[in-house]
Amino acid sequence: MTVAAGIGYALLALGPSLSLFTAVISHKPFLILTLLSSTLAWLMTLIALSAVWRAFLPFKTAAWWPYALLILTSVAFQEALRLFLWRLYKRMEEILDAFADRVSKPRLFITDKMQIALAGGMGHGVAHAIFFCISLLTPAFGPATYYVEKCSQIPFFLVSAIIALAFATIHTFSMVIAFNGYSEGKRVDQYFAPVVHLAAGMLTLMNLASGGCMIGIPLLYGITILTLAHCGKMVWTTLTQNRSRVGNVLY
Amino acid sequence: MEENPRPRTILETCGEEIIRIVTPVSICMLSVVILVSILNGGSSSSGDLPISSMATIAYTENSSDSIWDKLKGALLNSLVFVAVVTAVTFLLVLLFYLGCTKFLKYYMGFSAFLVLGFMGGEISLLLIQSFSFPVDCITFAIVLFNFTVVGVLAVFMSKMALFVTQAYLVVIGVLVAYWFTLLPEWTTWVLLVAMALYDLAAVLLPGGPLRLLVELAMSREEDIPALVYEARPVINDSGPSGGAVQRRVWREGRGRPVMNENEGIRSNTRTVLASGENERDYVNAEEGRADELAVPLIQHVNIRMNSTEDNVPSDDLVLEGIGLGSSGAIKLGLGDFIFYSVLVGRAAMYDYMTVYACYLAIIAGLGITLMLLAFYRKALPALPVSILLGVLFYLLTRLLLEVFVVQCSMNLLMF
Repeated sequence: MTVAAGIGYALLALGPSLSLFTAVISHKPFLILTLLSSTLAWLMTLIALSAVWRAFLPFKTAAWWPYALLILTSVAFQEALRLFLWRLYKRMEEILDAFADRVSKPRLFITDKMQIALAGGMGHGVAHAIFFCISLLTPAFGPATYYVEKCSQIPFFLVSAIIALAFATIHTFSMVIAFNGYSEGKRVDQYFAPVVHLAAGMLTLMNLASGGCMIGIPLLYGITILTLAHCGKMVWTTLTQNRSRVGNVLY
Repeated sequence: MEENPRPRTILETCGEEIIRIVTPVSICMLSVVILVSILNGGSSSSGDLPISSMATIAYTENSSDSIWDKLKGALLNSLVFVAVVTAVTFLLVLLFYLGCTKFLKYYMGFSAFLVLGFMGGEISLLLIQSFSFPVDCITFAIVLFNFTVVGVLAVFMSKMALFVTQAYLVVIGVLVAYWFTLLPEWTTWVLLVAMALYDLAAVLLPGGPLRLLVELAMSREEDIPALVYEARPVINDSGPSGGAVQRRVWREGRGRPVMNENEGIRSNTRTVLASGENERDYVNAEEGRADELAVPLIQHVNIRMNSTEDNVPSDDLVLEGIGLGSSGAIKLGLGDFIFYSVLVGRAAMYDYMTVYACYLAIIAGLGITLMLLAFYRKALPALPVSILLGVLFYLLTRLLLEVFVVQCSMNLLMF
């Protein structure tokens, strides 16, 4: 594909993340560091998974269940990472609060905590987009493009960019939901992230069938919109509760 | 809705020094990756350009050799290179000890001139050729000459605007790193690991040349002559207005601080901090001689202290009772920039997936080194952790991750 098309695909997958980064994260150095660390953590889980599965790949069978098993184990491992990141975040929060007390600045606001969760989630989303979509673009510069048989209406790169956009959004916002759920102890929010992640992963199994991506991708976007809506609602209720609790002083 | 002015939280400023170092390192790496992709894209085999230099004096790699031969050859090359660097570093320590700092400073300016003029010129010519950019020789020569001279002044004088100095240091790093990526593949990787181990030994072992240099500089309260990138110091927003007294705190291993106070505004202090004296530097191999390496260590981090705070916890800072703000700047030697970029540039010659993985690994290593620096408070080698992590991630990505990801993506299976 041409360089212009390549840049287009990259922007398609990462455009919203880039604007979110520029608007929210780039002003706060701590959030940039959080983003980099969570990207690194996601990469490490991916390497661990590939170490485990390397012996079995490439799959010789055309059956769908090895792929289902692959996705199941990968999602389970990454959700375990999310829990681990939550524990790490709790300790970080204590350190930051202690530091804030020492330099006599206010402690972390609820919006700060949500921003940290957002940066962490965006790290995962960006890592997904980079490793699953963008790193495959660069070897393919040149005159031709590539189509997958199972989904032959649009070029492979466009399909993977669209899927990467959906997943980046899901990762970004489900981290906010999950952290909020853990901190407030709400079961619905706590289970939301793993369930959505698993559902989204399983939906991509539909792409194995011929023409399956026509159904799979719109459903995937349905899940993305569900995540966005739930996150928005949750943030709204948390902030209004907080504001009514604390009064108009802190926002 | 009227909005109360929100009090600034610590989230807005925490970690700023780290970002101020990570940004130029990232820019340097990005530039090298882009240069490598543009210029080396055509020829994938590294045997095309037989670079004869100190690093390949022992063995010139041939793509038809067996793996064992290549490994042996690469080890031999690296040993020779590390030996030369060690010898030259000891020479530098000797010169510094004898007080020939002016000579070192002039030498540094001269090598900056060589790097910017000759290597910069060569790479510009390759770029012009690659893009068929229409420019005539005279214009090119004038522009190159001006660029080089400003660069030498930036490195030489400390009164230049900080941004210009920083930019030129990054450019020098990019040029030298690009040159290193022209070495044969096995030699490059083994060389990187060898330099990381050398750095570890030279800074931490009691007889190591870099440690001697740091101790000499500390005992004389001078700055080490070297090409060192210094990040812009972070000034606290609630700091004392005007006339901020800046201090630079050096620390002995156990905590006997040697302080060097300076008055004045930030630019003056920067003069002191950026070591108006001299620098050691890295010049390379155009002519086949490898000279000294820029100090690949991280200088002390001055711990940021809020100026309104009076009682600093005594275990980390020894500035109690003085109560004035100080801000710090992290310094990173140019050699570190160069070797990080060489690693990423080499990864770019294989595939971009390794580039992303190695970039994250190097930044993680840099973060770990900075944390260790804040913990141990003495000069630490910046290369080992990052290079070893980078090499590890490169191997893991190339051998394991790539197959996995390509398999999943080709079937449009993502998670």
